[in-house]
Amino acid sequence: MLKLFLWLKYVRRRRIMLLSVVAVAVSVALLIAVASLFTGFIAAFERSAVEAIGDIAMRAPEGIRIEKYPEFIQRLEQSELVEAATASLTAEGLLRIEGGNVRPVVIWGIEPGPRTRVVGLKEALICQGKAAGEPSFAVPDAPGKTGGFVGIAVLTKPDEQTDEYDQEAVCKEMLNKPVVLMTGTMELDAKGERVPRRSTIPFRIVDIMFTGVYLLDSSLVYVPLDVLQKELYPREKGPVATSISIRLKPGVDPESAVEQIRALWQTFATQELNWGPMAIGLTAIKTSREMQRLYVAEFEKQKHVLEVIFGVISFSVVVLVFCIFHMMVKLKQTDIAIVKSCGAANSSVIGLFLGFGVSIGVAGSGLGAALGYTITRNINQIEGWIRILFGLKLWRSSVYMFDRIPDQVDWNSALLFATLALAAATVGALLPAVAAARTRPVEVLRHE
Amino acid sequence: MYRLILITRYLLKRHITHFAIIAVALCVFTVVVVMTVMIGLVGGFKQKNHAFVGDCVVGTESLVGFPYYEEFMALVEQSGLVEGVSPVVKNYALLGTEVGDDDDNVEIIGLDPVRHSQATNFAQTLDFRGDRPEKAFEPMYDPSLPGCILGIDRVSRRDPRGQYVHYDAPFRASVTLTCLPLNAKGALVGAGTNPTATKRFFYSDNIHTGIAAVDYGYVYLPLDQAQLLCMSGDEKRISALHIKFRPDVGLQEGCRQMAELWRRFRADKAGAPNSFLLGTVNVQSWKEYRRAVVAPMEQEQLMLSLMFTLVGITTVFIVFVVFYMVVNSKKKDIGVLKSVGASNAGVLSLFQGFAFGIGLIGSCTGILFGWLFLSRINQVEQWLYEHFRIQLWDRTVYVIGAIPNHVDLSALAAIMGCAILACLIGALVPSYLAVRLRPVETLHAGRT
Repeated sequence: MLKLFLWLKYVRRRRIMLLSVVAVAVSVALLIAVASLFTGFIAAFERSAVEAIGDIAMRAPEGIRIEKYPEFIQRLEQSELVEAATASLTAEGLLRIEGGNVRPVVIWGIEPGPRTRVVGLKEALICQGKAAGEPSFAVPDAPGKTGGFVGIAVLTKPDEQTDEYDQEAVCKEMLNKPVVLMTGTMELDAKGERVPRRSTIPFRIVDIMFTGVYLLDSSLVYVPLDVLQKELYPREKGPVATSISIRLKPGVDPESAVEQIRALWQTFATQELNWGPMAIGLTAIKTSREMQRLYVAEFEKQKHVLEVIFGVISFSVVVLVFCIFHMMVKLKQTDIAIVKSCGAANSSVIGLFLGFGVSIGVAGSGLGAALGYTITRNINQIEGWIRILFGLKLWRSSVYMFDRIPDQVDWNSALLFATLALAAATVGALLPAVAAARTRPVEVLRHE
Repeated sequence: MYRLILITRYLLKRHITHFAIIAVALCVFTVVVVMTVMIGLVGGFKQKNHAFVGDCVVGTESLVGFPYYEEFMALVEQSGLVEGVSPVVKNYALLGTEVGDDDDNVEIIGLDPVRHSQATNFAQTLDFRGDRPEKAFEPMYDPSLPGCILGIDRVSRRDPRGQYVHYDAPFRASVTLTCLPLNAKGALVGAGTNPTATKRFFYSDNIHTGIAAVDYGYVYLPLDQAQLLCMSGDEKRISALHIKFRPDVGLQEGCRQMAELWRRFRADKAGAPNSFLLGTVNVQSWKEYRRAVVAPMEQEQLMLSLMFTLVGITTVFIVFVVFYMVVNSKKKDIGVLKSVGASNAGVLSLFQGFAFGIGLIGSCTGILFGWLFLSRINQVEQWLYEHFRIQLWDRTVYVIGAIPNHVDLSALAAIMGCAILACLIGALVPSYLAVRLRPVETLHAGRT
């Protein structure tokens, strides 16, 4: 009770104590915001891969195509692991939007219905995303014509100030517009030599994609799988694909599912496709997270480096708390002497100041966590205000990949930093507390 | 004189002031190390991009290109603004190698090596023909063969320390490039046929710019060969003109004059065949042209500086607390000083001088340790890598050689100035409190 009374008195009379709370809070908030930003960016990076290619992606070896893929997909979907799977063909080419405007693009041949069940395709479509039913390449009022989806950044640029696309304007201008895809493949001629063969695919834009991932929005063109196959590989009799995207059932661990899918593939490729062990072994079957692992590891490393830098700087908080408590002990020598002369033990005096340090740490960490949470959750609004007030656009999708700043709090890091701040405040209060305990009441009171 | 004596005495006798010095030194040390590395990385990256691009680019994003460039080049050269101007063709191609059936998509750059060396640092980035760029496309093993320059990452691998294996001369190897030649309307040339837009080129040199995407994904060809492969039509076309201004022409002024020159040229050409292609051309400084890659690093540097500013506030707090204590414990000194005629300004300057001293000693200590650490930073990283396999930046992912450790004196001066300013601000309120002390009260209290 005495301790609580003295703590309250010190806080009320010595406003400088609040400085230590503020310093601890600012450090904790800063570290939480930085860690959350990095963790959110890494999570968004991983999530973008899952949304683009599914939980697990299979890719045929270079120059080989997966035949009879519908049967393999059927086998996959019959297993206990897989919720849905879909095939795709990919190529690179040029998109002629209008006279004199030709852009490099990545062409994906897909089946929109099955793909929607595996990845977040429908949500990315500006028009069909809001409509009921599965997305489709059907061209309104022109049955039999080929339709396609084009990434929004292939067709237009975001506003220089706001970094937002005028979706309405681009839809109005581009929907139903005839465009031409130009691509090429290498094939064997009669002499067995590899010769280039070019293809053109005229189609109409039936929808525009906005995934929020600039890399995809600025390069992707989706066309029907069968149309792309006919152009790229006209000699193939049955359906072929270069990759298969797989969505796992809820609760299935992607890492462990990879091995089981590999076993399924081995059986299928041996029995149905007559593939040799080398081609089977060269087929890449990886989780989407595994594909990003190298880059994720680098992002993690940069995050840790930044945390260490700010951790070192936050050491000055320990110094600050030490200075404030040292001052407190010097100024309150009389209090300490009276408490000791009334019979308080050295441990009680240490407990008094150490407890006060812990309280400062708890208040600072709590306040810092709340501040860090508020900053992180409202980081996009804060960035917006900075743009409006100073005309400074800090975050651009073309620069940082995503259209929004990650705003989810990394609670693990938050807990860690709050605990460390508490420890720092306690350490800062320790030496002054010991010094207080060593005060000799006789000497202090004699001066009084 | 008395101020100097008192400052020295306080510094030596009041141990609490040492904590303020430690806090300042710690902050300065961290800022010096982090900002030196960051300034080195950002500055180096910007310098590489500037050297790679030149000062100004007059170009189009469309792969169709634009005509009448020779006339515009003549105008540019007559303007007296430029030191060099280089026409460049940019397009995409399917690259086949002698080994394996794998085809890769690459960006091709068609240029005149002599002209391009006048506008950019092209010659300096060549491994074998740096002294004679006019021979860059002549393979040393057979100058009669058509040559091409490959990015260094395509011919040599980086080891974990970021070092390449270098050869004395280019080895005999060839690549086959297949392009989709476009006419001025953006359509494929010879629709309905399959014209050969494929040609074999022999490896004549490699280019090492230090920019990852360029050093792997680009293949350089002679300008006329690139035009033949990618473009067709009555008027020869290019994608961009790279311009280097004379040393006395500022970047902004040069770009402004170039934009004006282009505007007039375009107006003069209105009505000429395919002049609509001139409408797709932009005039950009190198910074605007490479914004997507340079801006993230610049913004990270800015954000880090802002965070350090926040952290610096903690130092202000520490100095404040220390001075508050010093003033409280030295009331008697202040009373004596004022009673013997010291003015308020004299007392203020005493404590501000003391703060200046703390800032000076703290920042000098921080700079000294920062400089020592930076001078050994690469050895420290080498040691960490050899013993623990820890690298700050994975050299197989980042194109970074040694960690930049060149100390920027102007940055040092700015950091030191900020540290001293933080100390002066931190000491301001306690100094004011000291000034307001009434000698009669302090001495009276001292006597009793």
